[in-house]
Amino acid sequence: MPATNSDRPEGRELRLTVNGEDRRLDVAPSTPLLYVLRNDLSLNGPKFGCGLGECGACMVLVDGRAARACVLPAAAVEGHQVTTLEGLADGDRLDPVQQAFIDEQGAQCGYCLNGMIMSVRALLNARPAPSRDELVEALDHNLCRCGTHQEILAAACRAAGLGGEGDA
Amino acid sequence: MSRLPEQRERDEALAHGLVIRPPVYRLDARAFVCSQLLDVNRDGLDEDVTVVADGNFLGVVAASPEQARRAAERLRPRWSTPAGNHRGNTPAPASDRLQRNYDWPGRLGWGVEPDWVIADCNNGAVRVDGPVADTERLRRELACLLETDPARIHLDGHGEAGLGRQGSDDAAADAALLAHAVGRPVAVRLDPDPYALDAQALARARRLRVSGTPDGGDFQVDDDLGYVSVPPLALWLTGRLTDGLLRDPDAAALQYTFVQESFLDEVAAALGEDPVALRLRHIKDPRGRQLLQSVANQAGWNRPAANDGRADLVRGRGVAYSHRPSESGDAGSGTRSAWIADVEVNTVTGGVRLSRLVAGQDAGADGPLRPLLDSHPLRAALEQKLLGLPDTAPPADQWGGTDDRRLPATRGASPPAPRRTAGPLAEGEDVDLSPAVAVVANALYDATGVRFRSPPFSPARVRASLQARRDRGKRRWWWAGALAVTGLLATLWPWRASLAPVSRPATNLYSAETIERGRLVAEAGDCAVCHTAEEGLTNVGGRPFETPFGTLYSTNLTPDPDTGIGNWSYAAFERAMREGISRDGRHLYPAFPYTDFAKLSDADMQALYAYLMAQPAVAAPAPDNDLRFPFNVRSMMAGWNTLFHRDRTFQPDPARSPQWNRGAYLFEGAGHCGACHTPRNLFGAEKTGEARLAGALVDGWEAPALTADSRAPVAWTEESLFQYLRTGRSDFHGVAGGPMAPVVAGLAELPESDVRAIAHYVATQMDAPASATEAQQRQARERLAASAEPVGQEAGQRVFDGACASCHADGAAASFTGARQSLALNTNLHSERPDNVIQSILGGVHVEGVAGGGEMPAFSHSLSNRQVSDLVHYLRARFAPGETPWKDVGRTVAEIRTEHNQQP
Repeated sequence: MPATNSDRPEGRELRLTVNGEDRRLDVAPSTPLLYVLRNDLSLNGPKFGCGLGECGACMVLVDGRAARACVLPAAAVEGHQVTTLEGLADGDRLDPVQQAFIDEQGAQCGYCLNGMIMSVRALLNARPAPSRDELVEALDHNLCRCGTHQEILAAACRAAGLGGEGDA
Repeated sequence: MSRLPEQRERDEALAHGLVIRPPVYRLDARAFVCSQLLDVNRDGLDEDVTVVADGNFLGVVAASPEQARRAAERLRPRWSTPAGNHRGNTPAPASDRLQRNYDWPGRLGWGVEPDWVIADCNNGAVRVDGPVADTERLRRELACLLETDPARIHLDGHGEAGLGRQGSDDAAADAALLAHAVGRPVAVRLDPDPYALDAQALARARRLRVSGTPDGGDFQVDDDLGYVSVPPLALWLTGRLTDGLLRDPDAAALQYTFVQESFLDEVAAALGEDPVALRLRHIKDPRGRQLLQSVANQAGWNRPAANDGRADLVRGRGVAYSHRPSESGDAGSGTRSAWIADVEVNTVTGGVRLSRLVAGQDAGADGPLRPLLDSHPLRAALEQKLLGLPDTAPPADQWGGTDDRRLPATRGASPPAPRRTAGPLAEGEDVDLSPAVAVVANALYDATGVRFRSPPFSPARVRASLQARRDRGKRRWWWAGALAVTGLLATLWPWRASLAPVSRPATNLYSAETIERGRLVAEAGDCAVCHTAEEGLTNVGGRPFETPFGTLYSTNLTPDPDTGIGNWSYAAFERAMREGISRDGRHLYPAFPYTDFAKLSDADMQALYAYLMAQPAVAAPAPDNDLRFPFNVRSMMAGWNTLFHRDRTFQPDPARSPQWNRGAYLFEGAGHCGACHTPRNLFGAEKTGEARLAGALVDGWEAPALTADSRAPVAWTEESLFQYLRTGRSDFHGVAGGPMAPVVAGLAELPESDVRAIAHYVATQMDAPASATEAQQRQARERLAASAEPVGQEAGQRVFDGACASCHADGAAASFTGARQSLALNTNLHSERPDNVIQSILGGVHVEGVAGGGEMPAFSHSLSNRQVSDLVHYLRARFAPGETPWKDVGRTVAEIRTEHNQQP
């Protein structure tokens, strides 16, 4: 990305809150959040897919809302709560969305699953009882290249309390 | 600040008041001259707006500040023209006596900063909250205004009394009168308009003519019976002022000491005598002499203040003495005070710091001898009220205080300043403030050689006085004409003198204040944007500029002596900034906007020089320009300058508000906004007339029109312009991108009031209203409703769904990374040319340095020219269905991609 000119020192300290922990990082403010999470904080739940915000593999939650971490400068989430896949479970108890994906075996290669789970979680945060159409719309821009869409949708419906078959 | 106190923000009973002053009103020493209110036309006002007319006092009360402002604009009051009431000057007693006139203004200033004054009325009792000093005097005045008992007036203010009055007293009276009239709590905003105008109207409250023998003996004050303390304007306007309110012995003692001690200081200067020695000679009272001698010893009067060699700081020391008789009037009683103050004057900013104050007080038979008072609270009070207080509306080149630099979100986060009442300033004892004003005036004279014959000594006044003195030194009327002719010849003369190189000024030559001011000028001027190459070090230069005449490279602005401006004297720097002539005499090209920078004030120019010279030096030669003949002949620019350049500092328009002038100064001067937003003629000069700010293509980006011809789908308002400039995003228009992004990042360093001023000025250029009206909300809804899937654009639609819709889909608004504005409101999609849309797709949008700015990835590596072209056609058809399709999109995409590929 082209550098804009700025008097601010490139490496000023960033203060992020990730999975409830305060983290101080010496990185350029424009570094994509995804790089900070994976490279500096060793949180590899979010994946690098397209790098353009198109596929959704990198999704995290910011203040409970879905965010594509590859297109988000780290400085933009200062003062916000970042949650990655690693931070979803409550201790040993998995998030119901995670559990639903296990129960429905909603994975083939699994690369897109981080984004699928985070998208469903974000939707449930905003709308605790969504319809099937709303689930489809929420997952519309999460790409899966294995063709596991039916299983993924079934898992999403189970997480949303629509029954395990996804046909409710 | 600009927000109401937190606990009042949700107070639904709270109404907002705005006063409308008469076209003519002023206090002419002995008489109040004022237009008479004949009648008010209330037609066209909202039903819930109340008009309060009481004598010549006129105000409106409404539910919101916005509604009040609109009502005040619609109100068409008719006023009479007041009969001229010019009092004849009292003939001066002709004699060989030394004579001086001193003025005491009715208001020391309009206020420290914009704030709210809130009045609540409850069963005849009135409570006033805000930056108002709780004084018996103001309570009596408000009681007189509301025709009630002073015991029923409660002042909850956090303001401070002493030394002089401020506009907050006028605002308190306005709020109280309005609240009383409507029977609801009313908030009135303490703002330069109208309270700085009030301060001007009351500026000539008192003139004291002083005379004495040439050695300071036989001192006499010829008082013109002006007002010692001027009650709030509402009392004058309603005609309720009674004589009983005018006496003020404390203020009288302060004013009397000011003129006496200033006069003695002038005598000492004229005689070349030491000011303390002269006073010791004049003071008859032995205890007074002893006190002054002791304070002078404590202060080390005979040892000059240390000088640390800064070019922009001058130091001085002054003395003042007063003897205030006790009420009994016994000889030997009363309070004697002797004060010695050291000041530090910043000749660039006009800021004055009281670096030291030694004060002693001897209450004689009535109290103890205190040869050394705790000077800390005294200093704080003096700095705030005499030195920091703007007496009039801020001048156009006034940079906001540091307090103002917080964004609205963080407002109110810092704890309020500890409250200090008007009571004893020093522990356990009343301090007589009588010498306070004189001691500062005398120290200022010692430092600068300028005699201030009226308070306050605000930065703007100090700076203006120093500038006037420098100008007097420079110019004589009889050769002003000759100078003009020489100037014209010099402009025409194609070869200009080289100015001698100097060694780089020491980094500590300028004070931190000057350098900070310079930093703000540099941020407003975005120096670093052009003078920094991609990925390069700040201000090292080397950034290429494609012009119709060839390629230019920006130069090294760091203070490196060989490749930068390290050996440039201030004179050379100023000549380059104002005339476009390099230190070595070569002409600079107007890609460097000296045509705009010429409008900078002297103070800002000096501060900018100080700032640049204090930065780290980096050795880096600029690449040679690549211009075609004949444009590579620099001396040609002499003729260009004669035709197109006016070397003139910014002249404020007195008919406009201070905010407008501040905005114009920033916009036309340092900000050089026209350099991008005004199209250029064949010679590369900005066009004038109708074409001014009509929009232009710069660096492959379209700088849109800033006139009424703006193509924004939803009309701009002052509020949305402010939001856009401050945060890089507007809810009705989208985000700042391309070359505008670093402009927003630079503006983020400026005080909020400055960004508001720019927005205000731009709004007047665009004929834009203050804030969104119902019509604009409707416009936005219509645009959103109009966008629909177009037919025959399937290729573009596929690209959009795959690459864009994850953020730009309408349902995506709930996601954190989703675009917050629909593309249907995006100005670029409604423009005549697709350049900005293509630039944004290929290069992305990045607003670094601004929290919450736009961020979009670049798609140049993932979309082919064909895909971008399909996408652009689709976007236009879907989101700007009323506009004609763009032509030649494919060619423009290819051209812009070539530019992107050339960039590292």
